[in-house]
Amino acid sequence: MPIGNTQPSVRPASAGRAGGAAVTPAAHRSGARPRRSHGGLRAERYAPYILVAPAVLIIVLLRLYPLLLGVNFSFTGDGAQNGEAVGFGNYSELFGDPLFRTALGNVGLLVLLLPVAVAIPGLLATFIYLRVPGHRFYRSVYFFPAVLSPVIVGAIFNLLLAFDGPLNAVLGSVGVGPVDWLGDPDIAMFMVVGVHIWATFGMALVVFLAGFATLDAALLDAARVDGASLRQVVWHVVIPSLARTIQFVFVTTMIGMLTSMFGLLFVMTSGGPEGSTYLPEYYIWIQQGQMNRPALASAASTILFVIMLVVGLMQIKLLERAGKED
Amino acid sequence: MRQRAMWSAVLVVGLALAGCGSASDSGKSTSSDGKLVVWDWKSGEPFAKSYLDKAKADFKKKHADVEVEFVAQPFDQYYTLLGAAIQSGKGPDVMLFNGGGQIRDRVDALVPLDEYVAEDKQRLAGWEAFTKDGKIYGAPVTLQGYPIYYNKAIYQKANLDPASPATTWDKFVADCAAIAKAGSKCFALGNKEGVGIQFWISSMGSTTLTAQEYDAWIAGKRDWNSANVKRLFQLWKETGDKKMNSDGANSTAMFNDSFALFQSGKAAHVMGLMSDVGHWQDFNEFLTPEKLGVMKAPIVTAGTTPTLPYDGGIGYAVAKWTKDPKMAADLARSLSSADALKAFYADAGAIAADTTIDVSAGGPAVSTIVGELKSGKPALHVALSSKTIDLMGRLSQQLLSGSITVDEVVKQLAASDQAG
Repeated sequence: MPIGNTQPSVRPASAGRAGGAAVTPAAHRSGARPRRSHGGLRAERYAPYILVAPAVLIIVLLRLYPLLLGVNFSFTGDGAQNGEAVGFGNYSELFGDPLFRTALGNVGLLVLLLPVAVAIPGLLATFIYLRVPGHRFYRSVYFFPAVLSPVIVGAIFNLLLAFDGPLNAVLGSVGVGPVDWLGDPDIAMFMVVGVHIWATFGMALVVFLAGFATLDAALLDAARVDGASLRQVVWHVVIPSLARTIQFVFVTTMIGMLTSMFGLLFVMTSGGPEGSTYLPEYYIWIQQGQMNRPALASAASTILFVIMLVVGLMQIKLLERAGKED
Repeated sequence: MRQRAMWSAVLVVGLALAGCGSASDSGKSTSSDGKLVVWDWKSGEPFAKSYLDKAKADFKKKHADVEVEFVAQPFDQYYTLLGAAIQSGKGPDVMLFNGGGQIRDRVDALVPLDEYVAEDKQRLAGWEAFTKDGKIYGAPVTLQGYPIYYNKAIYQKANLDPASPATTWDKFVADCAAIAKAGSKCFALGNKEGVGIQFWISSMGSTTLTAQEYDAWIAGKRDWNSANVKRLFQLWKETGDKKMNSDGANSTAMFNDSFALFQSGKAAHVMGLMSDVGHWQDFNEFLTPEKLGVMKAPIVTAGTTPTLPYDGGIGYAVAKWTKDPKMAADLARSLSSADALKAFYADAGAIAADTTIDVSAGGPAVSTIVGELKSGKPALHVALSSKTIDLMGRLSQQLLSGSITVDEVVKQLAASDQAG
């Protein structure tokens, strides 16, 4: 709330005005005060707007205005129809395109895989908190992939998961036939998501560890004294105490999955095989850059924006509810 | 409170007004007088230096007072950046294009060059790829073609005669069986990006389609239901079903994993390029010029004659918004002048658009390729729109994995081709 920040600056100012009136009772009586302070009042009224104007203008000019241009642009045509209004033509073309539907379906898949992406760092953080042997070592090792760029991660896993790569060699040595990890449309998306989780869970792990720092150790001790098993400790003590942290990680992981998979997709699968690993971002990039369909890409961007808006609003609701419980 | 409401109202109205009207408008050039800006993805590389020096010298003879600035863009972003420039109607005066779909999709932003390049038409080859609706939009610099390379050492190992590779498809399949017995794959194939099928239909097109069908295809009258067109895709499926391709083709990148398979002797054939990468110069380096062969496509349909499929590879075009199209066209011409192209061939290992350049020092493979240029024809896939090519890439992956039939493939391609 930017307005909230401006209030303190208004309040001391009005206090000053009251003081000023008190030391000039003559002026007050003569009736000069209302006129003079009216001008002052006006300046003071505008002050907060002037002060927030730079921030608002930046948001309006560099965010909202281009956004509106983009939405507006999505209702125009491409190529020969450049600049002509085509109504919802781009949108109906998008929903008629099986590739875009696959991309939307994959967004749904990401949402379904979200609990896994949250559970992995959560569990590992729990083990580190409970001081499994070597926990210091694991703490730094787990964070390591988070500093690698997606392109490097993708290149590494391209080598590992290649048909004649080391993973298949290991499988072959125990008698399991080779799997085309990135060439099988039923598997490829899961591999990319898996690599994404591997590459980014370090950050969530750190958030979880920070959450654990606020955990009341007395509760854990009490549980142990009462003879609770590890599973019971996790289920009945750790998870309820970390509810807010878990919700926060859910939100940030979701955003990460929906917005930063492009690099991995680009390097690992190029949207393939058979278009099975398309995400809206990748689709937008292909339409704009490769197919020369900027208006269609704008329409796809608008849809992605609406999806993100809905997801974002849901997450804000979720965080608000978590805040109220506090 | 009322003030706030008023300001919000002003904001909303202002936004709504500003939001009207199209986001795109076309217009001016960014260059000032006496300066031309060129966009490409080559000028940053060391091998392009002598080429650009020669081209600049040639241009200086015609326009001594004009400055030329080359801006190298990263290739993977090139058409995205160019698209943004076209959208805003501002950008370079002269720009490098790939022939075929990439330039044809963007001719709205280009100046027809017919009147400027008339003198060059005889000397240079590959104009077709820069032509749309009978108008030329780019001056070719290199030629790009899709010869079938083979490894003579593997032929010897499989007891095949390296001097006379198979001339019919049936003999070729039999040879491949012998090659498999000797422990190598028949084709090095990378179809991760769906590019493998493009090379396939172009390499095999001249011996699968009749000459009439071939010319009709190039002219845009494509009969997707003809038996021979279906045969092209059936053969592609057959190479997959008979395990003639290198393993995991759908997850192997063509650039440069599949070429690496060929270079390292793991596969006997590859449908490669003749310029830039994956070409005779790269292969010569690893396999030695004596072991590298170029074969004609084996005949599938009786009565056909194999021809080398090639087109203009890259070429320079002139933007619509440039102030002096004649001057910009002169620059495009200088960039494809004989001296400049000679330097490009020598340093980049590309087959230049100027076919009078002597290539005999480059080894037997390149001589074979250049010898076939005269009878060559435009490649089949270059005639397709980017959209259809993208779809074909995905369908080709499905054909290899067996999740679609050939009939369904040609049906979808026909629909996409006719829509475009």
